[in-house]
Amino acid sequence: MNLDISATEYISQVRNGTISAEEFVSKTIDRIHAVENKIHAYITIDEKNALDAAKTIDKKIRAKEKVGACFGMPLSIKDNICTMGLKTTCASKMLEDFIAPYDATVISRLKAEDAIILGKVNLDEFAMGSTTEFSFYGPTKNPWNTQYVPGGSSGGSGASVSALECLISLGSDTGGSVRSPASFCSVVGLKPTYGLVSRYGLVSYANSIEQIGPVAKKVEDIAFILNIIAGRDPHDDTTMEKKNDDYTKDLDAGLSGKKIGIIEQMTGSGIDREVLSATNKAVSKLQDLGAQCIPISLDAVEHSVAAYYTIASAEASSNLSRYDNLRYGFDFGTEGFEFKAYVAKVRSNFGPEVTRRMLLGAFVLSAGYYGKYYLKAQKVRTMIKSQIDEAFKKVDLLLAPTMPILPFKIGEKIDDPLTLYLLDINTIIANLTGIPAISVPFAISSSNLPIGIQLFANSFEEKKLLQAAYSLQQTANLPKVPI
Amino acid sequence: MVENNEIKHLGDLVKVELKEPEKYVKQVEHILNYFERLDKVEFASEEQLRKEVSFDNLREDKHEPFLTDGRLLIEKLKKDQNNFIRAPKMV
Amino acid sequence: MTKIGLEIHCQLTKLESKLFCNCKADYRNLAPNSNICPICIGLPGSLPMLNKRAVEKAAMISIALGCKIPEKIGFFRKNYFYPDLPKNFQITQYNAYGPTSIGSEGKIAIEGKEIRIRRIQLEEDPGRLVYEGSSEKTQITLVDYNRAGTPLVEIVTEPDFESPRQVRIFLNILADLVENLGVSDPYLEGAMRVDGNISVEKGNRVEIKNVGSFRDIEKALHFEITRQQSLVERNIPIPAETRHWDEARKITVSSRSKEEEEDYRYLPEADIPIIQISANAVSVLQRTMPESIVAKKERYIKKYGIPPQVAEVLSSDKFYSELFEKAHNEKNAKEAANIITTDLMGFADTREKKLELKISAKHLSDLADGIVNNKITRNSGKHALQEMVKTGKSLSEIITALDLGHVSDVSSIEKIVDEVFKEEEKAVLEAKQNPDAVNYIVGKVMRKTKGKVDPSTTLEIIRKKLSS
Repeated sequence: MNLDISATEYISQVRNGTISAEEFVSKTIDRIHAVENKIHAYITIDEKNALDAAKTIDKKIRAKEKVGACFGMPLSIKDNICTMGLKTTCASKMLEDFIAPYDATVISRLKAEDAIILGKVNLDEFAMGSTTEFSFYGPTKNPWNTQYVPGGSSGGSGASVSALECLISLGSDTGGSVRSPASFCSVVGLKPTYGLVSRYGLVSYANSIEQIGPVAKKVEDIAFILNIIAGRDPHDDTTMEKKNDDYTKDLDAGLSGKKIGIIEQMTGSGIDREVLSATNKAVSKLQDLGAQCIPISLDAVEHSVAAYYTIASAEASSNLSRYDNLRYGFDFGTEGFEFKAYVAKVRSNFGPEVTRRMLLGAFVLSAGYYGKYYLKAQKVRTMIKSQIDEAFKKVDLLLAPTMPILPFKIGEKIDDPLTLYLLDINTIIANLTGIPAISVPFAISSSNLPIGIQLFANSFEEKKLLQAAYSLQQTANLPKVPI
Repeated sequence: MVENNEIKHLGDLVKVELKEPEKYVKQVEHILNYFERLDKVEFASEEQLRKEVSFDNLREDKHEPFLTDGRLLIEKLKKDQNNFIRAPKMV
Repeated sequence: MTKIGLEIHCQLTKLESKLFCNCKADYRNLAPNSNICPICIGLPGSLPMLNKRAVEKAAMISIALGCKIPEKIGFFRKNYFYPDLPKNFQITQYNAYGPTSIGSEGKIAIEGKEIRIRRIQLEEDPGRLVYEGSSEKTQITLVDYNRAGTPLVEIVTEPDFESPRQVRIFLNILADLVENLGVSDPYLEGAMRVDGNISVEKGNRVEIKNVGSFRDIEKALHFEITRQQSLVERNIPIPAETRHWDEARKITVSSRSKEEEEDYRYLPEADIPIIQISANAVSVLQRTMPESIVAKKERYIKKYGIPPQVAEVLSSDKFYSELFEKAHNEKNAKEAANIITTDLMGFADTREKKLELKISAKHLSDLADGIVNNKITRNSGKHALQEMVKTGKSLSEIITALDLGHVSDVSSIEKIVDEVFKEEEKAVLEAKQNPDAVNYIVGKVMRKTKGKVDPSTTLEIIRKKLSS
């Protein structure tokens, strides 16, 4: 059976009886067993329940009963999104034994459409990182070369989709965490507009910035899933009623008459030669399709990394305060301890990156420093947004490579946090301003490593964004994943 | 700018016992130096990006008990035999 | 010169649900941790859902205290670690970066003195700690989160109070005010908590926490003033500190020396959007919220001619003023107010007794009418009221059953007076000499008739007979 099909193809094959949900899920599980020791994408695999759910859906199909839009397609879910009955560890010792007593809203919506949750996948601890090397469970490997990082923090999402260990994955994107693994693993990854997809059930890291985002092999699959998970949720008061009717409709609308702005600050010096050449090729393909491409300058990009890490660290230091191991967490008794000493002791189990960000966050919020760092960082957000709004008066979309460099080896950059932070420079403006952005796999380097191209649209313009992404996707001719 | 004492104080604020505080001193200082550039930016507007909602559009005041799998939530947490949560002694 | 400021926490006990979730707002008498959900216990991934009516009721308190309500309000996080705080931060309001709390710069007058309200904010209550064993040898703290997330309104005053007595009067007015608004039942256990800060002779400010009841705050403040003044007399500087009230020993005790001021690292609560409260919305609230106590009192005096003292007592009591509103009409208002304040309040002064009262507004109205129309004397009225309260029977039923009908026809009264004259010859002689002694005879007639005779008619008849 061919696992390398899109979700849309899967649905049509199941509907016309070519394959059954149970067969496909079962083959996917076989695939997981075959490659997991090399990829290490999964933290939890829920085999039995997945197969049972698939069997039930097949029965419904045979009985010609109503079946949800997903027809039993197997999904992997980043392990910082709550799934009732399954562990949600956030790849941290602090949540080693935590089983959520409720489903995240996105999970309820997917289950209602008969999607199957195959398991929970790896991430940087509490979503803080760009390479998935900061996981308590060890790193995930890039299916294109298992000595290389898969990107992060949703490395498990990118790798599991790329290695055919699931059809679609849900990750979360705070500073590029869905787009970076999508780019490094040669799959598609979308960060929706802030407020389009409910965060209820997403374990908070930087709550004024993050969004749950889908990862898939094809843009049409992203559009399909977005239809199901997007839209106002009363459980999340930051969501808005701004969902477009049907993201899958008119995906092939094309690009003639569209203007695309190429972000100068992200296509200049400092970016890898092959990444730059792939970007230029993408631009020329888009021009062939009728788009007009012009350079756009966003000089506020220069401050974006500092602003992002100031705000994200501040929010992280507060969002992670609740982990004191008293109500849930891991096994460590309170006998013999005094309260403050106990809490400090259990919390010494956070990894170094999480600890670093909490210390930074405490600093920028401490008495006297709020105006100097945090408030200024918030103003940078507004500044970037107004430059972007200006740009969108001249163009319909913005473009830049997703990552300034090619995937690199595991362990290569882990000792210099600031170097890692700077890798987010191309993705972060979307998080700071809330606008949607998508990474489309476009090229493979001479060293056989994936390169993704990123498109941005203005807030709540996912339809326009997906149409452009689809057009770009159709111009790329990519080899199959080698694993 | 940042010394061992400062790091220990920050560790105390976020309640994390730091086994090797010196390790963090250099890294935190390096990153904070990078953040300094924010101080030099000049801003035209004071506005911040926040969603606004009229207070009529908030949640209705209704009591709805929460059950998970038909049971009380406390059953799924680290409770003692009387359904209390045990915490270490307060000094 | 003594200066006292207060920080009052008032629970919005009249709400159905907590501030950010649908768990029950009134947590009292529930089994431990049976009133919790992912939100109020701060589970990973949970998000707050702000309660509309909580914002409304907090706004009403702001209006009643003369505060300004900003057009946009926001929430902040106050970060600190404590076992009763499930997220280890409290969602509250904070004005350091601009006025975003539900009320600021208000004022309220007590006995002619103006007390300024610095700010009013909406916030969540933490859970409750229960200690196993005595607090000295406690090894374990038990936590019950049923209360976590209960809506609180914090009211902070300027240090405008000059005496503990003023504080007590203010707190009583505030309790009546929130009860009258229908936002809180301040007499429920734990519903209204007060912390104070106090300085004497321009010395350092001392904070007093953990005072259980209103009576205790006055005692605590008195104690503290004495303690501080004695230090001043001995030229010892007063340390700025936090002290807690020791209920058992009736003294204030220094809390564990506070390490430097806690750094709460406030930041905006990004999970709750900015809430718009338009000027129009505020006017609607002003128009539709319950009439203030002050306005009620004015209305009772002006419209019904009720004496100020009676009006004061009646308007301050929510239960009885509501009864009055239903029971009175143009003619009997003054009498109804009188019955309530003179007699009824005496029968039922506590919450429990009020709830047990069987008297209905109609019956009360009938009674007031009866007295105004001379169907029954005021004296008999007192008996009738007692019956009504106990049995809930109507006025006519009671008049018949107890034979309380008003006797006002002259011939019946003359007959009874004649009887009494025969029985009390000595008193009659005395009364002929000393006019004041007549009252004794009137009293006898009243006793004989169980108060059914009209006193003034009786007095006239007796005088006539004496002089004849």
